Amino acid sequence: MVKKQVGMNQSQKLMVFVLTMSLYGLATLFTELIPKFQVGIVEFSVEFFLFIPLILAILFDPLSAALGAAFGELIFSEIMLGQFGGLGELEKFITVTIGVYVAGRLVRNPLNKMMVGIAAFVGTGIQLLMGTVVDILKVQFAIEDFEAVAGLPESVYFTEGFAFFNDLLFSGILFCLLPTLFLVPKLYGKIEPLMGMEPRTEKSALSNISWKTLLGCLVAFAIAIVSEMLAESGMELFSFEAAWAESKGAMAIAMVVAALIALIVLMFFRKTTEIKEEVR
Amino acid sequence: MEKFMNKLSESILDKFSMDFLRNQVLKNAYGNDDTMIAKMDPRILLVWYLYFALVPWFSDDVVFLIGCFLLVAVTTILAKVAGLVLCLFILGVFSQTGYLFLVTFLFGGDGSSVFPLLVLTVKVATVSLASITVFSGLDPDRLSNGLMWFGCPERLSFSIAYAYRILPMLMEEFQNVLLSFRLRGNPPKQTGVISKIKYLAYQIQVLIHSFYPLMLNTAKRSRTTVEALEIKGYRYAANNKIIKKMKLAQLKVQVDDLLFLVLSFLWVSIVVLISTLI
Repeated sequence: MVKKQVGMNQSQKLMVFVLTMSLYGLATLFTELIPKFQVGIVEFSVEFFLFIPLILAILFDPLSAALGAAFGELIFSEIMLGQFGGLGELEKFITVTIGVYVAGRLVRNPLNKMMVGIAAFVGTGIQLLMGTVVDILKVQFAIEDFEAVAGLPESVYFTEGFAFFNDLLFSGILFCLLPTLFLVPKLYGKIEPLMGMEPRTEKSALSNISWKTLLGCLVAFAIAIVSEMLAESGMELFSFEAAWAESKGAMAIAMVVAALIALIVLMFFRKTTEIKEEVR
Repeated sequence: MEKFMNKLSESILDKFSMDFLRNQVLKNAYGNDDTMIAKMDPRILLVWYLYFALVPWFSDDVVFLIGCFLLVAVTTILAKVAGLVLCLFILGVFSQTGYLFLVTFLFGGDGSSVFPLLVLTVKVATVSLASITVFSGLDPDRLSNGLMWFGCPERLSFSIAYAYRILPMLMEEFQNVLLSFRLRGNPPKQTGVISKIKYLAYQIQVLIHSFYPLMLNTAKRSRTTVEALEIKGYRYAANNKIIKKMKLAQLKVQVDDLLFLVLSFLWVSIVVLISTLI
């Protein structure tokens, strides 16, 4: 693959990144604000506008689009609205990146509707599946005696599994498959010149998904799960608390005293700096 | 009564317009840089956040959790966070755990599931309030500088700074595109159930169609942005250590920052003390 490839230029990659980030960020900002409407237990959530990064990943460099989507979601809908959930966001970041990237790599010719449809569906499915697995694990770890609470494990499996199929069939088809099928042929050949690029063709596309890329994605998937598991099972790291449980009271008193001393010293410092500033 | 309900829904819908959203987001980003939280050193605040984002997950001590919750609630008030963000927070917490609670009952659970779920709710609330304090309270520029100091990729801090600037423009453009679609469109009448569904489908269709011009426009804009960045040598500057140092030189830890840290520490240790005494 010595031939010049689509979006291989560094600054063009940055363009794709900026484009995906702002568009998908805007869209996720809205989904965060649109109230979810429920019919009985069935939740018709407008889960995401994932079609935006999917389209851009199919038309341009998949990795830049995938990273842009993940960053856009993180910044617009999480940090801007103060919904940043710490650990949980890492998982979302990785799943969105992998889902969009795989979808983008699947398509070699954006005019092939069949392939575009499959890619959109697969990308959404991957993202949702990983999210579901992680969600179940999270609830399992966050609640002590998970198994002991009557009805809780089943209800978690049920709600999560239901949400998965609901999202895949409802949002997946309505908000990912159809818009992608509609917009990709429309944008193809029009949006690329605006950014100074050549449209992706069979020849200029990145090489077909080989076993190597597949393996790479699997490894990334494993890393996502492992990192999430590590983050959740940090409990073991903190369980050393039990070792000094007997002297916990003394420890707490020591902590209070240390804090008080530090507070007094700092107050003193503050006074003196204020005086200095006044003298100046 | 009906009149009242109509009025109520009208006023709610009125408030929930695009302009309102834009104002709230902007207010959240730049409107409150005179608060105590906004003036703090971002590094200190991030360390503080790291503690309150991680530790509550690993503790099952109710007294400790409630203590942490109270502390982050106070800091959220200090940060003067916009109303919309708080509203979203409350909605998010209760939709997350309240839903689970109801389903537990469906599967033959009894009152025993209340307590673990309450613990989970307090945990989630504490962590998200801490993040609201830090990420909504801090100036975006200071926040991105702070993240950069901790070695976050340059892309993240660039994205934050860029996102806050581009958002109002994008929102306005999106609104214009939507309005022009509405002007030219012919929506189906809203009578009966089937036509209501048709109307909804029409709305969704318009929403998706409107992304077509938006995508093209944003493509042009991002090209301009990147070209402007290239002229200023952005990609070179992003990797240059000297420039990074110059950029971060404005960060200074002051006594007030340490005071904040120590006060939080004092509170937490008092809470730990109480929880051991009980």
